[in-house]
Amino acid sequence: MTANAPEKKTFWQWLATIDRRILYLVMCLVVVIPLIAMLRSTVEVTSPVQDVFNAIESLAVHQKPLLVSVDFDPTSRAEMYPMLTAILRHAFARRVKVVELGIWQTGFGLAQRALNETATEYGMKYGEDYVFLGFKVGVDAVILGMGENIKKTFPVDARKIPLDSSPMMSSIRKLSDFGLIVSISAGTPGYQDWLLYAQARYHVRTAAGTTAVSAADAYPYLGSGQLTGLLAGMKGAAEYEALDAQHGFKQASTLASTAMPALSYAHIAIIILVIIGNIGFFASRRRK
Amino acid sequence: MQRQIPLTIVLVMGIVMMVQFFIPHPISRSLFELVNKWARLIGVFALILGAGSLIFYHLTKIQRKAKGWGFSIVALTSLAFMTVVGWLAGPRSMGNPAALYQVIYANVQVPLGASMFAILAFYIVSASYRAFRARNREATILLVAAFLVMLGSVPLGKDIWDHFPKISDMLLKIPNMAAKRGITFGIGLAGTGVALRIILGIERGWLGGGK
Amino acid sequence: MHISTDPWIWISALLTFCIFSFLVKDNPLYKFAEHVFVGVSMGYTIVVVTWSTAWPDLFEPLFVRNFAEVSIGAKVLLVIPMIMGLFYFAAFIPKINWTMRIPMSFLYGYAMGVYIPSDIQANLLKQIRDTLLTPSWLTNRLPQDMKATVALVAHTRSFNTIVDALLMFIRGPEGSRGGIGPLIILIGAIATITYFIFSREHKGILKPVANTGIIFLMIGFGASFGYTVMARLSLFIGQVQFLLHDWLGVI
Repeated sequence: MTANAPEKKTFWQWLATIDRRILYLVMCLVVVIPLIAMLRSTVEVTSPVQDVFNAIESLAVHQKPLLVSVDFDPTSRAEMYPMLTAILRHAFARRVKVVELGIWQTGFGLAQRALNETATEYGMKYGEDYVFLGFKVGVDAVILGMGENIKKTFPVDARKIPLDSSPMMSSIRKLSDFGLIVSISAGTPGYQDWLLYAQARYHVRTAAGTTAVSAADAYPYLGSGQLTGLLAGMKGAAEYEALDAQHGFKQASTLASTAMPALSYAHIAIIILVIIGNIGFFASRRRK
Repeated sequence: MQRQIPLTIVLVMGIVMMVQFFIPHPISRSLFELVNKWARLIGVFALILGAGSLIFYHLTKIQRKAKGWGFSIVALTSLAFMTVVGWLAGPRSMGNPAALYQVIYANVQVPLGASMFAILAFYIVSASYRAFRARNREATILLVAAFLVMLGSVPLGKDIWDHFPKISDMLLKIPNMAAKRGITFGIGLAGTGVALRIILGIERGWLGGGK
Repeated sequence: MHISTDPWIWISALLTFCIFSFLVKDNPLYKFAEHVFVGVSMGYTIVVVTWSTAWPDLFEPLFVRNFAEVSIGAKVLLVIPMIMGLFYFAAFIPKINWTMRIPMSFLYGYAMGVYIPSDIQANLLKQIRDTLLTPSWLTNRLPQDMKATVALVAHTRSFNTIVDALLMFIRGPEGSRGGIGPLIILIGAIATITYFIFSREHKGILKPVANTGIIFLMIGFGASFGYTVMARLSLFIGQVQFLLHDWLGVI
């Protein structure tokens, strides 16, 4: 044996230092296998998501329009896009008028795609049932401008059609004319700007869909009632899809719901790996 | 003068906008709408400057033949191609998902952006496994809370024990909310404090260096 | 299995694998894809900003539309922000680069001015109001929830029921804001803020309060971490769904 021979790892040391490639392989398997096997799971709806659903239901009852702000970009598409489509499907199924805009320039295309996709599914007419305002530079200035006068902020929509000529916009002049604002937001700018400027200043009911990363931070606003409801990440999207399915709304895709089994197994895998890592760490420390 | 003019502008604008919040008079509202519009338009130039900085950075890299300069050509070519295609498409292309730049966005930018953040999943697995050690009381509390929330937020957690979602919900709505509320107070107080300091000219870091 | 024949889907799939190759190690394919992303993103931003704001709100009314469509007064009101915006480019001219501060000062003054009243309302007043304990909680809610807790435990003694009773004690019946939850929130919020007081040493009464704050913070960060794991995994699952469904047609 040479002087510089590497010290043989004990089992416990190996347990605490498993090669990252094995970890990556485990992760791929626990995600891919459930997806290919098309496993299904029942998603239980939590109260923050139910509150958003109830809020949109009340718009249908009181004939109030919905404003959807698409505040995410392709980097958060997997979590936010299913959320957005589930909410739009609900609104269209209940014939709630929808106005959509984006305050992230890189999310413009996704906002447009979601709206066109779901509106076509439900046979909605542009200008009568929904309008896409598009994007404008200047987050706070846009929200505050809309709070005073939407048509001065957006004289034309994303299709360059004057807002004055859209039948549904005749009764929507400012933010307070909306029954609910839903901000599907992946960070800053996002729901906090809508809370600061639309909710605090113009007292418009606001709900949010956030990435799971920022969902825990939204709870103070949920608790105080500033947020009417909250969808958290892909789980929140799956819950909303479940609500849509429960009420018989047609859904061309249920990306979040089909991902739940894979998400579940991946979570369990990570928990097991962390426990294994801790066992290996403490056992090898004890032996020293 | 070089500092006095900007400091005076920030003071006047700050006070005007704060006071405007409390004045519903039509003149006040008209002024507010005008200022909002100006803020949006000035913001456009800030974005142009940002784009210019990126272009300048890559051009410098190419000029100096710095390491990886070939990729700078790729970046600038993609930028130029996308911009030209988009500008040629005209203003009405914003409402047309079939416009070439929209198609490139959907099939190039979207998968690239999504993939870049998708690989974070692997890093979080690796980092959790290697670094997440229950070394002390605080780390153990963090670990237990994380596990409970993770198990409570997936359907399989409910299948294992139907109380995981309820415990997770309680953790989020009570101790988590308490902690985050404390942080929110801090943000609220600090945010207002910093904003006042900027308006009153006490905080001058934004002026940059020089006279 | 129905492999896509759409060339754009194939381009998307190949670019996805270029990015995923970084997991093996940094390589030219990844760098190529990364730089394409940077270029395409910035190009898209330029186009969207041009057609959404710069052209319709500034350049078209100022330079294209005539005085019959846009009055001279309106045009003057557009020239002012344009000149202020152009000052940004003074950054490249050393003699007058201080003028860059003018549009910055306008935007800072505007942003700070609108922020303060909204921040005080949203992040302070409303949050404080929700944290305070109300007399009705003390006289109605709390006794009711305590009675319900005792009734639950008196009924059966299974482990699940004990957990239910504990949850009832802490947060009241499901969906309500009862139990001792409001008190825990008040204590937790105060303890958390106390932890962040670094201008005084944490001794005497401050020490146990700050230590309590640490516990609440650890629970909060644990919850955030748990959710962060879900977020990151979701993003990966989303891309795998694209590859398996849109590209390979396996699911």
